[in-house]
Amino acid sequence: MTSLRSAPNQIMSEPTITIQGASKWFGNVVAVNDVSLQVYPGITGLLGPNGAGKTTLLHMISGLAKPSEGEVTVLGESVRGNQQLYRRIGVMSEHEAVYGFYTGRQFVEFAGRSYGLKPLAPAVDRAIDNVGLTAVQDRLLGTYSRGMRQRMRLAATLVHDPEVLILDEPLNGTDPHQRIEFHDQIRLLASEGRTILISSHILEEVETLAEHILLMVSGKLAAAGDYRAIREKLDERPYKVRIEVSNPRLMAEALIRVEEVDSITVEASGALVILSQNIHALQQSVPRLAKEQGVRLLRVEPLDDSLESVFGYLVER
Amino acid sequence: MGPLLGLSLRQLTGRRRLLLIVLLALLPISLAALVSALLGEDETSNRDFTNTLLDGLLIAGILPLVTMVLATTAFGNELEDRTLSYLVLKPVPRSLIVLPKLLASIIVGGPMLIASGVVATLLGASSMGAIIVVVDSEFQAAAAVGLAVFAGVVTYTAIFTWAGLISTRALAFALIYVFLWEGLLTSFLGGIRYLSVRGYTLGILHGIDDQSFGSLGERVIEFPAAIVGAVVVSVTFFWLTVRRLRTMDVP
Repeated sequence: MTSLRSAPNQIMSEPTITIQGASKWFGNVVAVNDVSLQVYPGITGLLGPNGAGKTTLLHMISGLAKPSEGEVTVLGESVRGNQQLYRRIGVMSEHEAVYGFYTGRQFVEFAGRSYGLKPLAPAVDRAIDNVGLTAVQDRLLGTYSRGMRQRMRLAATLVHDPEVLILDEPLNGTDPHQRIEFHDQIRLLASEGRTILISSHILEEVETLAEHILLMVSGKLAAAGDYRAIREKLDERPYKVRIEVSNPRLMAEALIRVEEVDSITVEASGALVILSQNIHALQQSVPRLAKEQGVRLLRVEPLDDSLESVFGYLVER
Repeated sequence: MGPLLGLSLRQLTGRRRLLLIVLLALLPISLAALVSALLGEDETSNRDFTNTLLDGLLIAGILPLVTMVLATTAFGNELEDRTLSYLVLKPVPRSLIVLPKLLASIIVGGPMLIASGVVATLLGASSMGAIIVVVDSEFQAAAAVGLAVFAGVVTYTAIFTWAGLISTRALAFALIYVFLWEGLLTSFLGGIRYLSVRGYTLGILHGIDDQSFGSLGERVIEFPAAIVGAVVVSVTFFWLTVRRLRTMDVP
């Protein structure tokens, strides 16, 4: 890989990707709603639950979709209809389909030829070596595992040494070991001055990777900034736990005296819904109190561990 | 264009699809050989049958069917498999994405269809059954069939490639166009021949060799109209496909 030579301070002064008031709707459905953001060199994670509009936003950035409103520029130029800009951009879509009749190498060669790379072989060798698939490059893509296919797709995306990489859910189907390798690969590419925008619906998938986070919920940009700031906000989030006990009123009386419990609601079924800032204290208090009160614990379940509720919490803030 | 042409050719040359095309292309040849062997010396009947075979079977049925199977899948499969983004996210003008797709369909379907028409014509023109003695007039008839079928392949391919890009139901659209518009409506409204690829194909066939294909007579449009029609339709649909690829949201 050739290093990009921009000095870090120059890099920071110029955003690589700029989106200004972009919206995209399909009939009555608004997929992306008035989003404005800037992406700088380095790794940026685009997070959000499924259906949040991440892919539509990435499609607008990569020129696959035309914004219904607003403007998208990459490297200072409009992407839509600007074919020559693809010499500087690499896009890996979320769809995992490949031409199954090609070997891994032929697939990367096809990409390289389409970019008009000369000489082709060294660029293909380097791209395949980068993703660690040299040993299986002559096997048909149709015989690859999902993880291998994703990595070979990444090789095809990297073959022309792009300055900007847009990766839509690239870690789908990869195992933990492959994820670590993939993370190392992405970090290396970013250290060379590239802009890498990587989407995921799994928070943990990019938390150790991305320095900046863009958070999308329901088509809107819910938060943007440093990952740590967003994580802190998440840690402040009250936890909701639902418990079923043999004597709900007795248990509620005991729980309300616990300092870490913010509120208790008794449902019609008799189940208790407890709201607490300190999940660890609650985990200890509930069984202790049940034992003290002679109450049987029938069921304990966290209510809002889903990603949607985590993102929803941030949007409300 | 090279890599895309190679890719498109591989996509279109699946074993089952090729087998279907070969079988369809062999049909007129087999029938012409059979009838030629049966009718033997009766050259006029033989020629009439061949003309009916060319018009009714090859030009009205097999030609549009084969081009439809190939051209609607040229982009249709890319859309269905969600692989079209591999093509459009490259520094390649849209016209150079459409052109190889068209060429691949023409290269895969054209030679077999042309061979089918040419061989059937030569067999039909021969009064000695399967033994072919090519004389000048027969050569002219065969050349007329070859050129007319080629024009038909190009024009149908342009239309059906566009259809494959605008709709996932392109095959249904193509069938309706061929069998309802060209097949049924043309027999009631003669003017439709000027807006029909079959009309252009027959017009070119008759225009090049009105001796051999005189029996088509009044049913064909004028030679210049057929040439202009085929060129205008091919160029227009090529342009529409490029435009569609430029303006569409690629999944």
